[in-house]
Amino acid sequence: MSMENNQSRTVYDDDIVKKFIYAALIWGAAAFAVGLLAATQLAYWQANFNLEWLTFSRIRPLHTNAAIFAFGGNAIFAGIYHSSQRLLKTRLYSDSLSSIHFWGWQLIILAALITLPLGFSQSKEYAELEWPIDIAITVIWVIFAINFFGTIAVRRVKHLYVALWFYIATILTVAVLHVVNSIEIPVSYLQSYPVYAGVQDALVQWWYGHNAVAFFLTTPFLGLMYYYIPKAANRPIYSYRLSIVHFWSLVFIYIWAGPHHLLNSALPDWAQTLGMVFSIMLWAPSWGGMINGLLTLRGAWHKVRTDPIIKFLAVAVTFYGMSTFEGPLLSIKSVNSLAHYTDWIIGHVHGGTLGWNGFLTFGMIYYLVPKLWNTKLYSQRLANNHFWIGFFGILIYYISMWASGITQGLMWQSIDANGQLAYPDFVETVIKIVPLYYARAIGGSLFLIGFILMLINMWKTISLAPKGQDEQQVDMSNITMDEVAGTGHRKLESLGAVFTVLVFIAILVGSIIEIVPTLAIHKYLPDANKVRPYTPLEQAGRDIYVKEGCYTCHSQMIRKLDFDVIRYGEASKLEESMYDRPFQWGSKRTGPDLARVGGKYPDMWHYRHMIDPREITPKSIMPAYPWLDNKKLDYQILRRKLSVMKRLGVPYDDETVANADIIAEKESLELFNALLEQDPSLENIKDTQIIALISYLQSLGKK
Amino acid sequence: MNQSNENDKLMDHDYDGIQELDNPLPGWWLMTFYLSIIFAIGYVMFYYVFGGPNSDQELAASMEKIELRRAAVAVTGGDEKDESVLVALTSDSTKIEAGQKEFLVKCMACHGNQGQGLIGPNLTDEYWIHGDGSITNIIAMVNTGVPEKGMPPWKDLIQPDMIENVALYIYSIKGTNPPGAKPPQGNKIE
Repeated sequence: MSMENNQSRTVYDDDIVKKFIYAALIWGAAAFAVGLLAATQLAYWQANFNLEWLTFSRIRPLHTNAAIFAFGGNAIFAGIYHSSQRLLKTRLYSDSLSSIHFWGWQLIILAALITLPLGFSQSKEYAELEWPIDIAITVIWVIFAINFFGTIAVRRVKHLYVALWFYIATILTVAVLHVVNSIEIPVSYLQSYPVYAGVQDALVQWWYGHNAVAFFLTTPFLGLMYYYIPKAANRPIYSYRLSIVHFWSLVFIYIWAGPHHLLNSALPDWAQTLGMVFSIMLWAPSWGGMINGLLTLRGAWHKVRTDPIIKFLAVAVTFYGMSTFEGPLLSIKSVNSLAHYTDWIIGHVHGGTLGWNGFLTFGMIYYLVPKLWNTKLYSQRLANNHFWIGFFGILIYYISMWASGITQGLMWQSIDANGQLAYPDFVETVIKIVPLYYARAIGGSLFLIGFILMLINMWKTISLAPKGQDEQQVDMSNITMDEVAGTGHRKLESLGAVFTVLVFIAILVGSIIEIVPTLAIHKYLPDANKVRPYTPLEQAGRDIYVKEGCYTCHSQMIRKLDFDVIRYGEASKLEESMYDRPFQWGSKRTGPDLARVGGKYPDMWHYRHMIDPREITPKSIMPAYPWLDNKKLDYQILRRKLSVMKRLGVPYDDETVANADIIAEKESLELFNALLEQDPSLENIKDTQIIALISYLQSLGKK
Repeated sequence: MNQSNENDKLMDHDYDGIQELDNPLPGWWLMTFYLSIIFAIGYVMFYYVFGGPNSDQELAASMEKIELRRAAVAVTGGDEKDESVLVALTSDSTKIEAGQKEFLVKCMACHGNQGQGLIGPNLTDEYWIHGDGSITNIIAMVNTGVPEKGMPPWKDLIQPDMIENVALYIYSIKGTNPPGAKPPQGNKIE
């Protein structure tokens, strides 16, 4: 008899939803604050307080990871768990799995918060976390998947609503992306080398990086949109057919677009072409979501004036439309040659994250909290103020980054009548945009201030809510599984497993076609072109370059563009990075490209520049790295590092591997002696990390 | 859309109270999608079937144009001044001041704020490692640099006029013996 009771009544697990909302709010504050700190340092480099843990290159990955996976992740989990239970008319599959999912995810975030500022980083964007944390992410994600698909399995509703399609695509694809991009071999408890090198690593990483945007910041939020917009506006979805067409086209096309992050680079042309044309074809599928969201609001537009929830949701969808128009535009090779490596990309990303992800999450939480705590929102006025302050914050952010990116991009490419660069001195192009960095920091502050108003509003709402209420039982007696499965897509919606397999196939096609050919690419390089591997000391220095996060501001990829070649030298070739694990092509040039910096300046220049960049370039905005000349280099581990590299196919002979530490020590001593001869006061820098770093920098472009 | 119309389009299912309308795909949206697909096919055809240039060819073509511009300048330029003309210019204080200003931005890092030498050699004494310390020679050195010793060529980074100013400034500080001057390197030039 108890079975029947269970089936006629159910209690939704709202406790887990509340927990994820708390987590999203708390980590959101942290993510935005760290972002503001990073932004402030670009305007005023001293804002790292001369601490390595707070220096831009260490906290930039912390900001992106916290914003995407801590704020975004917890918000997604809250929304998915809340809406799925209601769409499937059942409690979540397992309370224990929900709980492990929640606490496991928070521990992962905590681990990121500790390891990233300490410099434990793989330097792969949005995948910086080191291998033990990668494994934890995989485990927790699988637990989330079991809990979600388990809930689908025990559902009381035969057909899956469009929001659930997007959740399925999210869970499946993020798992594939994370696992494939994180195949790495550990060299110590907190360091590893990826199995991919150079161009392969670049392609796999940007397949991952781009689709993290697609399947962590787009599809789950579209799913949330499909639930919370019709709920909050009390309106039917505009077009069921549009949902079907834009869902499948989005999922199929998105996965191909990754190479647009590598346009004009050494990546083979065919892959660049695929990345570009699929990005352009992605425009309409993306806009399908925007149209369906905005037209669902038809008949509820009057609420935009009065209801802060609708305000947030409507503007979020509008920002989504803007970003997904700008994305294909930026993927056109010629536009990209102007915008890539500049702040335009930063503006583009923040239009999406602050506007779309941020505002959709805020709208959802303003909707959910009063419902879950069975009360009213404490203050509509505060919520409206949050909206306007946040909105102007985003506008200032976006506009200042547009201006900065386009200004700097134009200065970089400007060639005068004599065939010379009009702005040959890189720092000139930086000085020009520093005022815009201040403006951006103001925009970011406004966004954060608005969010603080939300925190106050939420805290008040929750603390004034009636206490000690029982969880509500929901009557399920009149819910019966519809036996009519329908035909065509309607039928597919009733077949959870088949639907999931089809999504899997859709995302696999593009992935395989783009990635598999590059996996063997280095084998086909003519032997004459192959370069020598890094010496032990250079490899040690490279690991420091990675650890410090130099890639956050410096690229190592001279594009096949005249102005890049004139400024930095011959265009980068595939073979030059064939032993680079991880690749360091970079995605942003806050400072100049370093692909051919080797031999350009004396060792002493590099030493003094790292200790105080302004001693060399008075207006430089680069942070100083004074800790590098008092931290000793670990020679011992180099044997292990080189043996891992050898296993991965780098042609070191056994002798070099066995004596890696001794060879490195000798190289280091030579470099040290030469520096000491020029400046006897440097006697203390023997065996320090800076010597290895200089040795690496001097090898760039020299192999 | 009026209410009765909308009710006609309501589909016969709902999810947790959410209903869906059976509206067709917007025509302009569909058109955008088709056009983007046509563009994609056309783009691929142009570059991979009809012989459009590859990225190396495109780069070579644009570099060639720039080389032509540079060659034109090299022909029309070539107004190298005699040493005596240059020495006469050292009395022009505006040129010396401009040279000093540029020196403090570009050269100070290696040669010190008063040319006393740091990473690079002292520029105020009578000893020269490369050449004879004449203004012509200093201009040539600044242009080509000494890459093997770590001095970059400045030819493309500083305008020719300004290189002349910097050379005049360097010539003008000979014998100033600034504090902390680096010991002599190279050959003594009388």
